[in-house]
Amino acid sequence: MRHIFFLAAFLVLWSLALVVFQVPAYLVPSPQQLLAKAWFLLTRADLLTHTAVTLLEILLGYAIGCLVGMAAALLFHRAPLVEDILSPLIVFIQTAPKIAIAPLLLLWLGLDMTPKVVLVAIVTFFPVMSAMLSALRSMPEHLDVLARTLRMSTLQRIWRIELPQSLPLLFSGLKVGATLAVTAAVIGELMGTRAGLGYLLALGQETADTQLVLVSVLVLSLLGYLVYLAILALERRLLRWHDSATP
Amino acid sequence: MLIEVQGVTKTFVSRGGEQVVALAETTLDVQQGEFLTLIGPSGCGKSTLLRMLAGLVEPTSGRIVWQGTAPARGSEVGFVFQEPVLLPWLSVLDNVRFPLDTFGVDRRAGDEAARQTLELVGLKDFARALPKELSGGMKQRAAIARALVYKPRLVLMDEPFSALDLLTRDRMNDELLAIRAEVGATIVFVTHSVEEAAYLSDRVAVMSARPGQIRTIHTIDLPAPRGEAVKDLPAFHAWLSQLRRDLR
Repeated sequence: MRHIFFLAAFLVLWSLALVVFQVPAYLVPSPQQLLAKAWFLLTRADLLTHTAVTLLEILLGYAIGCLVGMAAALLFHRAPLVEDILSPLIVFIQTAPKIAIAPLLLLWLGLDMTPKVVLVAIVTFFPVMSAMLSALRSMPEHLDVLARTLRMSTLQRIWRIELPQSLPLLFSGLKVGATLAVTAAVIGELMGTRAGLGYLLALGQETADTQLVLVSVLVLSLLGYLVYLAILALERRLLRWHDSATP
Repeated sequence: MLIEVQGVTKTFVSRGGEQVVALAETTLDVQQGEFLTLIGPSGCGKSTLLRMLAGLVEPTSGRIVWQGTAPARGSEVGFVFQEPVLLPWLSVLDNVRFPLDTFGVDRRAGDEAARQTLELVGLKDFARALPKELSGGMKQRAAIARALVYKPRLVLMDEPFSALDLLTRDRMNDELLAIRAEVGATIVFVTHSVEEAAYLSDRVAVMSARPGQIRTIHTIDLPAPRGEAVKDLPAFHAWLSQLRRDLR
């Protein structure tokens, strides 16, 4: 209820400020104009399609990044030598600015979704991998003894002990990864694309269409927010047993 | 006889490259169905010996021989730790059923066995609870149920009650005796407490440190079944004094 009140107050102030300071509409549109633009884009243009493209890039890349990150952590935990060999490469990819990697990926992989998915996967990989790895490294010794007393196989260990035990720490990595994923998808699209919200952003910039840019930004932040909410919901469901869980 | 420990030793190499003898040559029999306690100061190798019986640590030399065939999988040894090691994301019932799931026992048979074992340790009303909702004593009872649920030939207990308060500890001792009478398991128990050793055991192996070894083995000839009344017997107090002298 309070949120709705503040939102309404914000919209009223916004409209008033435009009138009082006489801001031209091509620089900052009014809320009504923006809403009309969004409606137009939704019904007459392909806003939904573009949103779907970006969302798909985010979800695919995020899923791949998470799975590879978790698998890498499980591997590194068991074979520190592999980590030693691969860590320079991982650190290099991690420290290189993502904006700098994006053109490379586009050159290699073309203009369609693939390079964006890869970029999203790359930025998601690191926080997920390092969160999972530190969870595995802080695994209580007695769980290891339990697994060995019961002669559990490696797969049983991973599935029945290591994954659930890692979940609380893993989720912090998953949340960081989710926010990075949205940014990476847009960066990839801005570098060159035929579809997606980043395409709309670039188009809006080239044609000096402030409204188009603003609508795209709003939809993007909405996407990011929804992805984050989905992870929170998953966390609440999976971590009911944990002390940090909100009742 | 269940197990023969034949001249077993354990030597660790410390970080400085020095050889540390955790357990000097040790020979010991574990009898079928007995309650055997290992008692001794820190560093006497009692935990090492226990872990070797569990197959978690390989002896440096000597052999551990099981009567019949050696356990092919985990189902012949149950281990109860000092801290109740429950998986916090599983309910009490699921924790107790955990070993059976690991061994591939089907769900319905597993549930049945887990429920029976929970009843045995007095936790049947807490089957659906999460570990964090249990008290320390209840958690340890659940951990004991998990070690018993697959009817192992040998139950190893590493100071299982040392983290509990005295009153709870006394009650747990009585419950352990009752459980044992019910299932007839062979138990090897590690403790610091002479009271616990004398009260629970058929035999007590007193160990000493540097190097870790068994100094003497007593057969505790107190009447069975044990109960509160045993603690008033002069013989019980004589055993306490004897064990304290041995440990000095």
